[in-house]
Amino acid sequence: MSRLLRSLLRVALASSLGLAAPVAMSQSAGPDGGLSLPLRGPTPVADPAPAPRIQPIRNTAARETRNYPEQPPVIPHTIEGYQIDLNGNKCLSCHARSRIRESQAPMISITHFMDREGQFLATVSPRRFFCTECHVSQTDAKPPVANSFIDIDSLITHLKAGGSAK
Amino acid sequence: MTGAKFDRRDFLKLEAAAMAVAAAGMAPSAQAANLATDKDTATLDWNKAACRFCGTGCSVMVGVKEGRVVATHGDIKAEVNRGLNCVKGYFLSKMMYGEDRLTKPLLRKKNGVYDKNGDFVPVSWDEAFDVMADKFKAALKKRGPNGVAMFGSGQWTIFEGYAAVKLFKAGFRTNNIDPNARHCMASAVAGFMRSFGIDEPMGCYDDIEATDAFVLWGSNMAEMHPILWTRVADRRLSAPHVKVAVLSTFEHRSFDLADIGMVFKPQTDLILLNAIANHIIKTGRVNKEFVAAHTVFKRGQTDIGYGLRPEHPLQKKAAGAAKPNDATDMSFEEYAAFVSEYTIPKAAELTGVPANRIEALAEIYADPKTKVVSFWTMGFNQHTRGVWANNLAYNLHLLTGKISEPGNSPFSLTGQPSACGTAREVGTFSHRLPADMLVTNKAHRDRAEEIWKLPEGTISDKNGAHAVLQNRMLKDGLINAYWVQVNNNIQAAANALEEGIPGYRNPDNFIVVSDAYPTVTTVCADLILPTAMWVEKEGAYGNAERRTQVWRQLVTAPGEARSDLWQLMEFSKRFKIEDVWTDELLAKKPEYRGKTLFEVLFRNGQVDKFPVSELAPGFANQESEAFGFYVHKGLFEEYATFGRGHGHDLAPYDRYHEERGLRWPVVDGKETRWRFREGSDPYVKAGEGVRFYGYPDGKARIFALPYEPPAESPDETFPFWLVTGRVLEHWHSGSMTRRVPELYSAFPEAVCFMNPDDAAALKLRRGDEIKVESRRGYIRTRVETKGRNTMPPGVVFVPWFDEGQLINKVTLDATDPISLQTDFKKCAVRLALVGEAR
Amino acid sequence: MSLLGALANRFAWARPIWTTISRPSVYFSFGALVLGGFVAGIVFWGAFNTALEATNTEKFCTSCHEMHSNVFEELKSTIHFSNRSGVRASCPDCHVPHNWTDKIARKMQASKEVWGHLFGTIGTREKFLDHRFALASHEWARMKANDSLECRNCHSAQSMDTTKQSPRAAEAHERFLFTGQKTCIDCHKGIAHKLPDMKGVEGWQ
Repeated sequence: MSRLLRSLLRVALASSLGLAAPVAMSQSAGPDGGLSLPLRGPTPVADPAPAPRIQPIRNTAARETRNYPEQPPVIPHTIEGYQIDLNGNKCLSCHARSRIRESQAPMISITHFMDREGQFLATVSPRRFFCTECHVSQTDAKPPVANSFIDIDSLITHLKAGGSAK
Repeated sequence: MTGAKFDRRDFLKLEAAAMAVAAAGMAPSAQAANLATDKDTATLDWNKAACRFCGTGCSVMVGVKEGRVVATHGDIKAEVNRGLNCVKGYFLSKMMYGEDRLTKPLLRKKNGVYDKNGDFVPVSWDEAFDVMADKFKAALKKRGPNGVAMFGSGQWTIFEGYAAVKLFKAGFRTNNIDPNARHCMASAVAGFMRSFGIDEPMGCYDDIEATDAFVLWGSNMAEMHPILWTRVADRRLSAPHVKVAVLSTFEHRSFDLADIGMVFKPQTDLILLNAIANHIIKTGRVNKEFVAAHTVFKRGQTDIGYGLRPEHPLQKKAAGAAKPNDATDMSFEEYAAFVSEYTIPKAAELTGVPANRIEALAEIYADPKTKVVSFWTMGFNQHTRGVWANNLAYNLHLLTGKISEPGNSPFSLTGQPSACGTAREVGTFSHRLPADMLVTNKAHRDRAEEIWKLPEGTISDKNGAHAVLQNRMLKDGLINAYWVQVNNNIQAAANALEEGIPGYRNPDNFIVVSDAYPTVTTVCADLILPTAMWVEKEGAYGNAERRTQVWRQLVTAPGEARSDLWQLMEFSKRFKIEDVWTDELLAKKPEYRGKTLFEVLFRNGQVDKFPVSELAPGFANQESEAFGFYVHKGLFEEYATFGRGHGHDLAPYDRYHEERGLRWPVVDGKETRWRFREGSDPYVKAGEGVRFYGYPDGKARIFALPYEPPAESPDETFPFWLVTGRVLEHWHSGSMTRRVPELYSAFPEAVCFMNPDDAAALKLRRGDEIKVESRRGYIRTRVETKGRNTMPPGVVFVPWFDEGQLINKVTLDATDPISLQTDFKKCAVRLALVGEAR
Repeated sequence: MSLLGALANRFAWARPIWTTISRPSVYFSFGALVLGGFVAGIVFWGAFNTALEATNTEKFCTSCHEMHSNVFEELKSTIHFSNRSGVRASCPDCHVPHNWTDKIARKMQASKEVWGHLFGTIGTREKFLDHRFALASHEWARMKANDSLECRNCHSAQSMDTTKQSPRAAEAHERFLFTGQKTCIDCHKGIAHKLPDMKGVEGWQ
């Protein structure tokens, strides 16, 4: 909880200074003009930066909140070695309609049965066959840049509360 | 559209809360569960837009609430994607909300004044443009028009690319303007121009549902064109007779759908292409009628060099380097004799592909009953013989007459969202003008000058500096004022340590970079301009199937960020015509005396023809509000006059707001799906059947071109081939996608994919930190022996999306000598463990 | 009859040798003979087993290109080849039973694979892929019949600590493996090599 508070304070502080996108300025004139590149780290552009360790894939059964209902859910588990090719689709052996009783995995959404014309097919639509075009698993790597996307529920809650205390 | 209920403080508060919650690893908005609310609150404002990422050109629906993008999904009405998006497209909503958006111009300063070695400090737009105009004027004075240059992008909107071309080619009178599309599909352009005399694919995506076979020549569509891949998969899996052949120098995700998978030795695709042509001829399956009526044969110049600096030994040695694009006439018999040495057994030996697979592939083309679509992207285009590879692929379709009809289609795909719409059609290349016209052609220049109301002789008759040459000229101090928009060329251009970085940091040069986020290119600049992106402005893109799509401004850019279009037009106000034109030229148009470039180029009675009252109610339009006229419509309509009646017809601008795009030529309100074919293409007259009207004789060119080796191959010192490329989750150098947490976490940093036996032989393990080193430099990365790619021995793959691992410090800036596009797929490297040897 | 006669003729050369072997010894004592026979037996047995064991190594298995460039190549990117603890499976760990009689039975089956090698039945990748369903089905059937014995040689259900497994794995093992409803191979197909066309295979779409 203290972590949450600290993050809140940090961001709120940056915001109150009028830097909606805080440009981190270092004191010394670095080779890169003192501009920070969080996705690169502190190594000057001309020098080779150390490579971070390869992070393990998050391997849980916990579902993640979607940013909006249309977002394809991320895969909360590893899919290492899962075969999806002309021979078969490993994902469907748990997520297919007929498999979920045994697997207790979420069933693929009904949109996945629709063809290009929007008609429902008897089986999963071939256009949806390659799951990883839309669904990706997640490593433990922490994003170095925060994202200030505001989800619709937060907006609505705020609206209903009468907006900001003016 | 933004209600009065919200002000900036509201958003800052909500943003802070959202980021804090995310940082703490908690689910967002847990407090807002079980909401069912009134219609006003629940309704989102949905509008269409073209996806910001690849050249597929998916249409997305963008949901806006209180001036914020809150959701995106695939557009059900769009023919391209019919409701689908790939993972990047589905996360477009978060792309604009990276915490470190640039919101103020930043200038390097020391003691309050500009200094090349100063630190970036926020300045006003006025100060930014003042300093920038000074530097541009100084460079123009010192070196003439070619002392300034611009590097743009296939991510420019059509308006932006068009305004930039006008500003540089007409205003500054230099052709030193090139897009990053030069790195991406210049070889495809030159391939089209050589084979057909007109740019861009004859077919369209409808070919996918009509074909019997797909051949992927150097294209990993499963990752790079995901939504087109869903259409290919749909066709392959729902029509079991359909075959898919996939060719690459390593095994990637597209092989998952392959009936015929072929891993060939780098550069030997040229051999395979000729061997298939030979097979078609030897088995008597040439469509003689078609070939006689619609083609002629050409012997291309050979030994054309590698686009390296002229003093490079390989350049000096190349006998044909002076005129690489030359060709002479030949007969069919001579052509047949030329390819006869490329037998299937010989091809098998040289390419490493089993003969039975080459034959199966050749049969796909040879069998008259099999319709075939050939797809290619960077495997062909980023190739020191990329134009040749394009020509040789057309040969196969022309020899068999499998072209310009549903299901028979040689199809060059594009990487960037408007590589076709902006870079190619608008003519932002250093040698082009709109509608395929060339700066070296007097008639073409005359026409451009006439449309632009400029005196004769305004446009330079010399090709300008292309992408690779610009970096070399920056390093050599020959270009002194340089503007980069919507791209990240320090990360994207080859040989960054020897050319790019020293060029940008050359004390003689002033470098301006416009971007939405900090990148390695922005930190190498002297002035950074904050840019409005995607639906923060009205935009138009053109995709790989000639489809032009338009969207409206839906939200407002943060802080002082302004679109590239506004930047270009506003900057043009800083120049009096006398600053940039000679007296001699001005004497031909004395009425322009005393005017600014803005007035001459954009207040010319055409661009400013449409009043702001024509803007759609309810939508903001920052540029039009700033300049006092409907900027986008004016620019578009003036630009469209270039192509109308010349095979590049565009519809009236307003119609694009109603459509999910239209494929040009749009004649009498109807789009064209298959060009060069009677009944489908209005430019082919009744009774002609097929006419390749790009050439005056109406015939396409079949080229005899041999195998020639790559510029650099592995040897004892540098024993591995290095291939670079992209991954599904990241696009455009990762500057946007890596700021979306879900995409970042899916593929956080680059790795070096390699063969497990190679790793074992070097005593390397998965995850080891290694140096990937060439003659030009090295990066540090991690060994990956598993995952989505299976590497053959001797080949490694490192994606270039990671600004922490600038793999283009390692690559070689060798180009195709015709297209001047870099070969990012082949150079020689060695691998070593970082730190002490084991 | 004529067949037997023909056989007798065919082995006519062996008759004097047989006569010699079958005649009682006149030079050695019974004890020496028994002991000698015993020692020789051990030597032969040892040699046989050594030879057998020599064929029971990854090196032997992958010495023919069919194995090397198909299944072994595929194994290398899987968890049974490289993983966190570095304990890895070699071909015989999964494909040859550990107890002797089963091993001999499997080895006799394997003579068919040698035959296949000699006659190029799966000499190309395409031919191998054509046979892959049959080959894989044999292995699945064998493992199903022996309750995934080779899996269990390393992965004993009793020794599994499900608290150290991912929640998905723990749940599945508790519901299906520990209750005996399913055996390893029912769910874990295609974990060391690529799968054949799975149409019609239970649990696959």
